[in-house]
Amino acid sequence: MRAVIGGYRIQVERRTDLRWWHTALASVAAIVVSLFLVGFAFLRVGANPLEVYGEIVKYAFLSEFGLPQTINRATFVLLAAFALIVPLRAGLWNIGIPGQIYAATLAAFGVAYAFGAKRSVNVQLPGELIIPLMFVAALAAGAAYGAIAGFLRGRLQVNEIVTTMMLNWAMLWIVAHMIREGGPFMGRTAEGEGFTLPTSLRLPQILGVPLTVFITVVLAVLLTWFLTKTTLGYRIRTYGESPRAAEYAGIDATRISTLVFALGGLFAGLAGYHYFATVPGVFKIPKNYADFGDFSFYGLITGLIARNNPIAAIPVAVLFGGVSGGARFMQGKLRLAFGIDYALLGVLMIMMVAFQALAHYSIRVERQATVPTPQLELERGESRVESPHH
Amino acid sequence: MEVARERSAGRVILEARGITKRFGTVVANDHIDLAVRAGELHAVLGENGAGKTTLMRILFGELQPDEGEIYLDGQRVRFRSPRDALRHGIGMVHQERKLIPAHTALENIILGHPKTGAILNLRQAEREVSALCERYGFRVPLHAKVWQLSEGEKQIVEILKELYHGARILILDEPTSVLSPPEIVKLLQSLTRMAKEDLAVIPFITHKLPVVLEHCDRVTILRRGRVVAEMETRHATEQTLAAAMVGREVGLQPERVQVPLGDPIVRVQDLWVRDDRGILAVQGLSFEIRGGEIFGIAGVAGNGQEPLAEALAGLRPVERGTITLDRTDITHAPVLERWRRGLGYIPTERREVGSIPTFSLVDNILLNYHFERQFSRWGILASSQARELTERILREYSVVAAGPNAPARSLSGGNLQKVILGRVLSRKPRFLIACLPTHGLDVGAAEFVQRKILEAKQSGTAVLLISEDLDEILALSDRIAAIYEGQFTGIVTASEASKELVGELMAGLRRERV
Repeated sequence: MRAVIGGYRIQVERRTDLRWWHTALASVAAIVVSLFLVGFAFLRVGANPLEVYGEIVKYAFLSEFGLPQTINRATFVLLAAFALIVPLRAGLWNIGIPGQIYAATLAAFGVAYAFGAKRSVNVQLPGELIIPLMFVAALAAGAAYGAIAGFLRGRLQVNEIVTTMMLNWAMLWIVAHMIREGGPFMGRTAEGEGFTLPTSLRLPQILGVPLTVFITVVLAVLLTWFLTKTTLGYRIRTYGESPRAAEYAGIDATRISTLVFALGGLFAGLAGYHYFATVPGVFKIPKNYADFGDFSFYGLITGLIARNNPIAAIPVAVLFGGVSGGARFMQGKLRLAFGIDYALLGVLMIMMVAFQALAHYSIRVERQATVPTPQLELERGESRVESPHH
Repeated sequence: MEVARERSAGRVILEARGITKRFGTVVANDHIDLAVRAGELHAVLGENGAGKTTLMRILFGELQPDEGEIYLDGQRVRFRSPRDALRHGIGMVHQERKLIPAHTALENIILGHPKTGAILNLRQAEREVSALCERYGFRVPLHAKVWQLSEGEKQIVEILKELYHGARILILDEPTSVLSPPEIVKLLQSLTRMAKEDLAVIPFITHKLPVVLEHCDRVTILRRGRVVAEMETRHATEQTLAAAMVGREVGLQPERVQVPLGDPIVRVQDLWVRDDRGILAVQGLSFEIRGGEIFGIAGVAGNGQEPLAEALAGLRPVERGTITLDRTDITHAPVLERWRRGLGYIPTERREVGSIPTFSLVDNILLNYHFERQFSRWGILASSQARELTERILREYSVVAAGPNAPARSLSGGNLQKVILGRVLSRKPRFLIACLPTHGLDVGAAEFVQRKILEAKQSGTAVLLISEDLDEILALSDRIAAIYEGQFTGIVTASEASKELVGELMAGLRRERV
């Protein structure tokens, strides 16, 4: 596309090489634009946008209570993003993150239950044995539940989006069955939530956050390495770029799709374990567990914005983790209308996704050297008519 | 008489003068002059990357030239868009078909025409389109659905569409590339008739030089964005055309070399294979290929060549029959086992199957190496090894590329094919399957690829060569099988084979005892 404005030529072209900082720049621009746009909504309800944003940042990143919450939520979102990224590298869509999270959570609490954790919060159990067991059970359950969709996709070409969504529903109600009145995991209060994890089965906290947070950061690096440097990672990427070329190269479709969904489910499983079994103030399957299933879709958006790059997903996850908590707090503190925090989040997400498209284009502005006058052209054209070629 | 003289005098219909187009620092078109006269079939020749596509897009209004002018009947014109160009009577037939498969040929032809208002007058339209067919000698079933048509017929539908929409100047992008030899001749005859009828017809062509010589009156040859020659074809030979395109002398017919034949390496017995639609596309083929032998399969596209190659490479299940490689039965062996036993496969679709456009060249080389010990230690890719191998292939095959990390999509078709060929041959295959190895390549690259295949044969590889280019099959093969509707209509040795004989066999007009 080309336009000429006042002697300047503005040229918009599609980039052939998209670099990471193009995307990063587009994301920052998207944040600025969304804050500006949502600012009008805040003005409309009588709040000063700058004060609002100040409150969000102060709570989410600078307050004693808000910062750990931001970190824990960001970890959850980030793991959900990994759960999307691995299958997506193979060209497959994991919409089953909530189901995998639920499956893992049930497995972790199932292990605790088997050792009699339901009896009392203060029951003394060998944590050094049971905590690793819970951890492994969660990851295994998430992976196994994910692998179902992957296997069906690879072997029978069943659409993975449909199966993962159905599997979400199945697990959603299984969890309900387990924790609601009369269910085996029902808590003492009988208010529709699961039993509380005994103090002896809680993962140690380091610097005020659970160990899983650090594990997740290490995983981001490991995952990047796995996808780019290992043979399996290569096969996943090959299958994702071109299933036919992968077949030509002797890469087994069933194995790859099962593997990527198992890996995705494993990360989702860790997300479930992290939030329900290690975050202070939770330590149980809460009544509103389905909200966390929904919240995991932030991971989906995060993975897309980060363009499938696990490291790049970190800042995006921190942003969503922080804004989701901070905006809610601000809304309460400033007594603003219900839902305005969601408006902010929604606009942020739409803008960030939309701006990714813009990152594909470069804009060049250059001064036009000479502007030929129309008369001159007409003359040249006419002389051509008068003296025909040959 | 008056009119006739004007035509034969060669009035210039379309003229481009000093067309220049730069993309960044690359000059894609450097002061190109092109004058198309009435009554002449004027082809534009050039290798891939010579600037043909850019010139076409400029003539068609898709790109604006940085410098230069276009004249139509002596009048200066400017096209702001393809639509604008069509208004001036310029039609374009692309290489990819832009038709709706579920509609009939006629419906496709009249689609989008201003006369086609809310009410379809198909009968009136049919009369007009039939008249066009009559006039230029096209034969196409107007009421058949497009998906039922052959590639050649689809192209004719596109040409008719442009003519029906009022094109007086027709630009054709590689019109011969998808056609069988008889179809090419028919098409060029029709194009010649159109040219005689005061239309300007400009095919842009990279290969099939003999037909160009036979049917076109004049050629303009581009190389590296410039016009290097403009000549009447009666003054030209295949050699001079090729030399002008490539910029050096080219040996058009590679020398067939006789090497003592080794033991049979591949043995195929009574092979039956289904295609994607479930139809038995390969019906009871039997043959064997010995070391140092090129076994060529000649046939018009879609007669079972592709399913045969895929079944041999392990990409398609075998319905019945056996395939043995070095006395081992590999009929149902997985792909990797075949590669480990010495298979090498160059697929027809370079960008869809043979390579991954977004991957670097190193990662593309790994397609045939990721399962080898030296390239995957404890599950970690040996990147320096892969890089070294890639650099070696780029050097040995003189591939023009920015480097081993350049994405495959940045390579021209010829260079990409060299990479694929180099990758497969670097494994020193016992059995090489080469499908349409020079299809769509320019003269220089095609010659190179053919030489490399001959080298593989000399080193004792059994080669299965599948090609739609009869000249290529005849030049390279030691034995030639003609395939028609999934069956061999004849197997002849190189000394018995002639173009006429094999041509009749592949058209199914004649059957030898196989």
